[in-house]
Amino acid sequence: MLTLFTAIQSRPVEARVEEAQVVAQLVRRCASGDSVAWEEIVQRFHRRIYNICYRFAGSADDAQDLTQEVFIKVYRTVGSFDGEKASFGTWVTTVTRNLLVDHFRKTRNDRATDSMDAVMGADEDGPTLADRLAGDVESPQAHVESRERREMVHRALLQISPDLREAVILRDLQDLDYREIAQVLKVPEGTVKSRINRGRAELARLLQRTYRQAL
Amino acid sequence: MLGETKPGTQCAEFDALLTDAIDGNLTGERRERFEQHRADCAACSTLFAEASSGAAWLSELEEMEAPRNLMHNILAATSEAAKAAAKAERDPSAWERLLKQTRMVFAPVLTPRFGMSMGMAFFSITLVLNMAQIKITDLTPHNLSHTFYSSQNKVMKYYENMRLVYEIESRVRDLRNATDEKQQNQQNQPNQRQEKNQTREQNQNSEPERRQLHEYTREQNVQVLALLNGKDESLGILAKQRRQI
Ligand SMILES: [Zn+2]
Repeated sequence: MLTLFTAIQSRPVEARVEEAQVVAQLVRRCASGDSVAWEEIVQRFHRRIYNICYRFAGSADDAQDLTQEVFIKVYRTVGSFDGEKASFGTWVTTVTRNLLVDHFRKTRNDRATDSMDAVMGADEDGPTLADRLAGDVESPQAHVESRERREMVHRALLQISPDLREAVILRDLQDLDYREIAQVLKVPEGTVKSRINRGRAELARLLQRTYRQAL
Repeated sequence: MLGETKPGTQCAEFDALLTDAIDGNLTGERRERFEQHRADCAACSTLFAEASSGAAWLSELEEMEAPRNLMHNILAATSEAAKAAAKAERDPSAWERLLKQTRMVFAPVLTPRFGMSMGMAFFSITLVLNMAQIKITDLTPHNLSHTFYSSQNKVMKYYENMRLVYEIESRVRDLRNATDEKQQNQQNQPNQRQEKNQTREQNQNSEPERRQLHEYTREQNVQVLALLNGKDESLGILAKQRRQI
């Protein structure tokens, strides 16, 4: 993650501008019905959209469905994209975020219960996350496997409030800069920064609690 | 908590600088102020510790590979959506079609000029109805249906008369065809090989046909046909006879 972040930051400005121009060209072709250009756009953006959806919604299945929905929406509205207002990447991210917010509003209750169970290990069947962590701590050499740790962070992320979650995902997982995030969320940069702070802090508290339970 | 202060301008500034501090982008005088407040304010110190910890946790999350079929599924879904959109454009719903047709039908009427004409027309009709001493309220479905049925009776009577004409006509035709066939059979029987010639001859010679027609008319007891001389004339008189019926 950090290396990826560094890589993006260290990329020459010319390369980013060039890429933006290529994408803009693709979008123009796509708006005029060029299916090859559309395929290229899907190729370039589907992994990014899938990751945002996966981190926000939590499950791979939901993420797949949501990603498809995002692209159907992008396909239908690509003609309305205004390159003067935002980059295409920011625009696609905005479409994704709006769709996720709608989805979250519809399924708020189910989801909250699901993620609570998963994080707090309230599931009665099988070993809970706390059990697994405890088991690992008991054996001297063992460390919590990084895969399990990542799973734990992923679950905790689903628990923080959507306002904070989306800000944190866009910053810490998508490497968007504060100005871009402000564009996507349609709030001032100061609000973006404040939400990121609170989101990170809330996540840390959740994970500390989980650890304490495990120990 | 010890040293905790009410969140004020300093805490707000600390919050604003926190992301930059974690990103490692805080330098100089701003960084000094930030560090000073972190030492002075327990709440902000805790926020810094938790936010840093949270950022560290999040940095462990890797970008996921997209499922293998995702790209394919997206393209399938969007081409499906495109087809549906194209179909909707080509094949509008029944309601849209009705609206369109209604607009087309009433387009010439839906102009101010025609609106006036329609108004005038209505006025005239009302006037005529008044003169005929028919009230608009008489034109209720019940009254109209009464008018309709009485008109229908007249139509039915006319229709019955017409049917009689057609029935007689068709019977005449049948009889004529029957005699034609009989004649043909009589001619065909003697010599099958000369059939062609005989048929031609038959067409040229109208005498037998005329005779058959005479027989028929005698059967029907219609005297006018006694005056028959030639085929053309006979047809003319036949037509005349039909008119008389
Ligand atoms: Zn403070």
